[in-house]
Amino acid sequence: MGVQKDRVKFNVGGRRFETTATTLAIAGRNSLFGAMFDENWDMDPTAAADEHFIDRNPDCFAVLLDLLRTGELYIPPNIPERLLHREALFYGLSDHLRAAKWGPFDGNTLRLSRSIPGRAPGDGTAIRAGPDGGCCVAHGSMVHVYDWAMEEHPPMNLDYQRVNDAVWVDSNSIVLSACERLGRDDGGMGLFNASTSELKYRFHVTHDDQVKSFTGGALSLNYSDYRLFASCRGRSNEYGVGVWDQVTGKQVDFFYEPPGWSLGEADKLQWLHGANCLMVATLFPRKDNCYISLLDFRDKERMVWAWSDAGAPVGDERRVRDAIAMEECGSICVVNEYEDLGFMDLRRSGGAMRWRSRSRLMKGKMPDEPCYPKLALHQGQLFSSMNDTISVFCGPDWVLTSRLRNGYGGSICDFSIGGDRLFALHSEENVFDVWETRPPPFM
Amino acid sequence: MSSGQKKRNFQIEAFKHKVVVDPKYAEKTWKVLEHAIHEIYNHNASGLSFEELYRNAYNMVLHKYGEKLYSGLVSTMTFHLQTMSKSIEAAHGGSFLEELNSKWSDHNKALQMIRDILMYMDRTFIPSTHKTPVHELGLNLWRDNVVHSDKIQTRLLNTIFELILKERTGEVINRGLMRNIIKMLMDLGASVYQEDFEKPFLDVSADFYRVESQEFLECSDCGDYLKKAERRLNEEIERVSHYLDVKSEAKITNVVEKEMIANHMLGLVHMENSGLVKMLLDDKFEDLGRMYNLFRRVPNGLSTIRDVMTSHIRDTGKQLVTDPEKSKNPVEFVECLLEKRDKYDKIISLAFGNDKTFQNALNSSFEYFINLNPRSPEYISLFVDDKLRKGLKGVKEEDIELILDKVMMLFRYLQEKDVFEKYYKQHLAKRLLSGKTVSDDAERSLIVKLKTECGYQFTSKLEGMFTDMKTSQDTMQGFYATYGAELANGPTLVVQVLTTGSWPTQTSVTCNLPSEMLALCEKFRSYYLGTHTGRRLSWQTNMGTADLRATFGNGQKYELDVSTYQMCVLMLFNGADSLSYREIEQATEIPSSDLKRCLQSLACVKGKNVLRKEPMSKDIAEDDEFSVNDKFTSKLRKVKIGTVVAQKESEPEKQETRQRVEEDRKPQIEAAVVRIMKSRRVLDHNNIIAEVTKQLQSRFLANPGEIKKRIESLIERDFLERDNADRRLYRYLA
Repeated sequence: MGVQKDRVKFNVGGRRFETTATTLAIAGRNSLFGAMFDENWDMDPTAAADEHFIDRNPDCFAVLLDLLRTGELYIPPNIPERLLHREALFYGLSDHLRAAKWGPFDGNTLRLSRSIPGRAPGDGTAIRAGPDGGCCVAHGSMVHVYDWAMEEHPPMNLDYQRVNDAVWVDSNSIVLSACERLGRDDGGMGLFNASTSELKYRFHVTHDDQVKSFTGGALSLNYSDYRLFASCRGRSNEYGVGVWDQVTGKQVDFFYEPPGWSLGEADKLQWLHGANCLMVATLFPRKDNCYISLLDFRDKERMVWAWSDAGAPVGDERRVRDAIAMEECGSICVVNEYEDLGFMDLRRSGGAMRWRSRSRLMKGKMPDEPCYPKLALHQGQLFSSMNDTISVFCGPDWVLTSRLRNGYGGSICDFSIGGDRLFALHSEENVFDVWETRPPPFM
Repeated sequence: MSSGQKKRNFQIEAFKHKVVVDPKYAEKTWKVLEHAIHEIYNHNASGLSFEELYRNAYNMVLHKYGEKLYSGLVSTMTFHLQTMSKSIEAAHGGSFLEELNSKWSDHNKALQMIRDILMYMDRTFIPSTHKTPVHELGLNLWRDNVVHSDKIQTRLLNTIFELILKERTGEVINRGLMRNIIKMLMDLGASVYQEDFEKPFLDVSADFYRVESQEFLECSDCGDYLKKAERRLNEEIERVSHYLDVKSEAKITNVVEKEMIANHMLGLVHMENSGLVKMLLDDKFEDLGRMYNLFRRVPNGLSTIRDVMTSHIRDTGKQLVTDPEKSKNPVEFVECLLEKRDKYDKIISLAFGNDKTFQNALNSSFEYFINLNPRSPEYISLFVDDKLRKGLKGVKEEDIELILDKVMMLFRYLQEKDVFEKYYKQHLAKRLLSGKTVSDDAERSLIVKLKTECGYQFTSKLEGMFTDMKTSQDTMQGFYATYGAELANGPTLVVQVLTTGSWPTQTSVTCNLPSEMLALCEKFRSYYLGTHTGRRLSWQTNMGTADLRATFGNGQKYELDVSTYQMCVLMLFNGADSLSYREIEQATEIPSSDLKRCLQSLACVKGKNVLRKEPMSKDIAEDDEFSVNDKFTSKLRKVKIGTVVAQKESEPEKQETRQRVEEDRKPQIEAAVVRIMKSRRVLDHNNIIAEVTKQLQSRFLANPGEIKKRIESLIERDFLERDNADRRLYRYLA
């Protein structure tokens, strides 16, 4: 048997480890090991006599070395995750750790990973998933930010201005919209650093070349040409949808609300990439009627599709509580307060709603503090929250294929999908759940 | 607690001593790292402990001294770069670039090592504070302290340009070094490369090539100049591939193209004794190809070549078709056209990459000059006639096709296709009747080609002629099957029954046939009319031929191959030794012009003079006497006596054909007008003219004056009327 040439010896915090240069190479050039054994540093990893000392925790090193060896993460019960994250950050192995923790998102294989309790009871406004596994929770005038390891960063405090919506621009920046308070020129929208919570930029609205204060409502981003959209309510009836360039931060457009319609108080904005237009939905109970429209901002501003229940006799079963555009199917999906789904054809304006009565049974056994249903769409899977459960619908006929339920925290007031994770915010306890898919099996 | 004790208010003091890391600790840690950076720059890193340095940098970030670490890095690195800058400045002459290159690679290596130590800061502190990452920072500092330093910036640029100039003048330079230096500029960012190098490089190159192109122009001819320009272009492309950014290729070739070609385009094309015309004349495919490839790169380059080529073809073509010498021999005339066409076809395919626009230019030029000579249709038909009579004998089938295709090409250029049709019909009729056609397949093949080109209508009559030939054969077979036995001893009659209208009929007087023949003809007439009812036969004696067996006075027997007219004349001598012109004319009733020609060929052609004429002269006079030439001898037993025929049409014949063509066009124009008006109902004058011209294009170029006359005639006949309000409008009357 020949002598194995690529053996490497470590002494980590007093404990000896032996591994191979091949295993360490998996860590990549952008890690401590990659740098340490680069030829520049002239350290021969195979010099058998040499033992490389590292002044770190040996238990964590063992876990991370195992991760490099097998690609699988196993955390012994005596090691807190937080500790492991810190060590991984030191070695430059955070990406390895994160990749091993959860797999690609699939609504049908989600498992509850953690429940993070909030600081105050109930009444959260919104939860938004970040692009790399973190999330932010808006609660009154506070926004709490968590990174992928569920470490909380310094919160954003807007000082008496209630936050209406939040959107992640990238993994390090969040745009918040807030209510304007009477008598003060504040509110509006700002860009915040997610890790330091500093305000980096304020977005302004100008009407007739004059900067005006406003209340920022629902937000949406167009990632392909860096546009930011927000529903805006100005003080002198300047209602509508504002458009900003994300790069320059300058306002580039404003779609004024036409009479008899609602844009400025919208509950939801959604950019449709293929159709190149923006869906604006204002829903009951913010207004007495529901208004859903698609706006086209190219050349001349146009409302290319519109639907409203104004004028139609509407019972509670027909009240739209949330809406989502599904470009692949060319339709808009809506939900009522009994979690019945309804569909409308996007290709024809003024078409009728097709309701799918599914759960009239729910009537009568509503919880004390009901939450209105919310919808989300992710890679062809439709998600709808109702009370304390999230339902997953799949396939062309939207068959219910999974239900996500956690017995604790009461009704779900908002949920969000991103970074291969699903976050659900409960209304009673202000606790939020993290759902993720297991890494694929090894066999 | 005793009451004696003085009551004291409890005061809870705030915890004032925050846990702070010893500020000296930060300073100490930084010193270690600073020392390490110095050592790295001094190539002294082997004594450093990577783990310790990494841990120190980690600790500084962890204990919120990231800012200090970062600013320390900036100032330490700046210090080293300034030192390097000084040493580069101090380098003499040629070693300047080498020094710069070696310092650049030192800096790169050091930068990589520093980044390794500060990896934790790069990953955590820098993104959250939106600072420049270490690697980029290192490049920026290099740019600001070295590349943009006053004493280096211009010197660097000048040195690079000097080297490139040397290479352009043929010296060998260190390309590896150049590549490293240019790569450095590229690494510093696209804007550094473009602003600090590429732009001035393009300017310097433009100046260089401006001067050089002037020099070349003065001392070389067009072909040489193009060779040099091509070489320069390839050199620049090669230079880019060796040590410049690939994106520069388009820009620098653009400069060469502009300075060496675009600016001198006209001068080159029109260069005396070596320009484009000369190249075309001398078939310089290589030079032409080079010109095409180079000119293609610049705007309007190809159109310049094309224009000059077009006008050259037009001029030479015009000379060719209007040259009276060439017109004397139609076959040669057409052969010259084909030769010219072949020549340019070859040029376009070999040198101009089969460029469609050039082919179109060639076609339009031919169309232009071929139609300058109104006799072109006739000549082309004569050429075909010549080829199909004898020219194609022994030629392979594919070659026949090839020649016919070429003829079709010329045919396509003709505007007066109906004139061609007229002549072709005449010539085809002669070929068929005299049995002179070489290959039936070739004849039919050409008809098919004409049909695909001009449609069914164009060739229906021509095909009718072929059908007549075939039917006649059958008729003759039937005739001899019926009367074969009783006619066995007499002369043999072969009759071609021609449908009126399909053939170019000439109203000619039937001559008096010899009695033997007359009887036979009558027999045929009764046979034919017996099998076909409702037809009328008239004899076209002017078109027939005859084979005669003649015995001369010296006992020599010959077989004479003559025309029907000649036969009639010769048969007269069976009953008389000598006859006068008038007697012959009276007996045969052959029209005098034909008779004169006929007698001329019998009596005046040397070697074939079966008759003797008194007095002996070349021309036939009214009072000449004719007798059998008893002394006639020939080496061959079979003697073919041709008629003295004008191959080309004589002037009056031409006039006549012309008139017939004009006459035939009238109904066609009228039909076109009626067709158009029927669908449009109302149309103004200009539009009618345009549409009619377009519809008739495939047959001939209609004359607007003639169209106007036809419209007027149609108005008279109540097909059309003028609009009462607008006189320019015509209205269709159903």
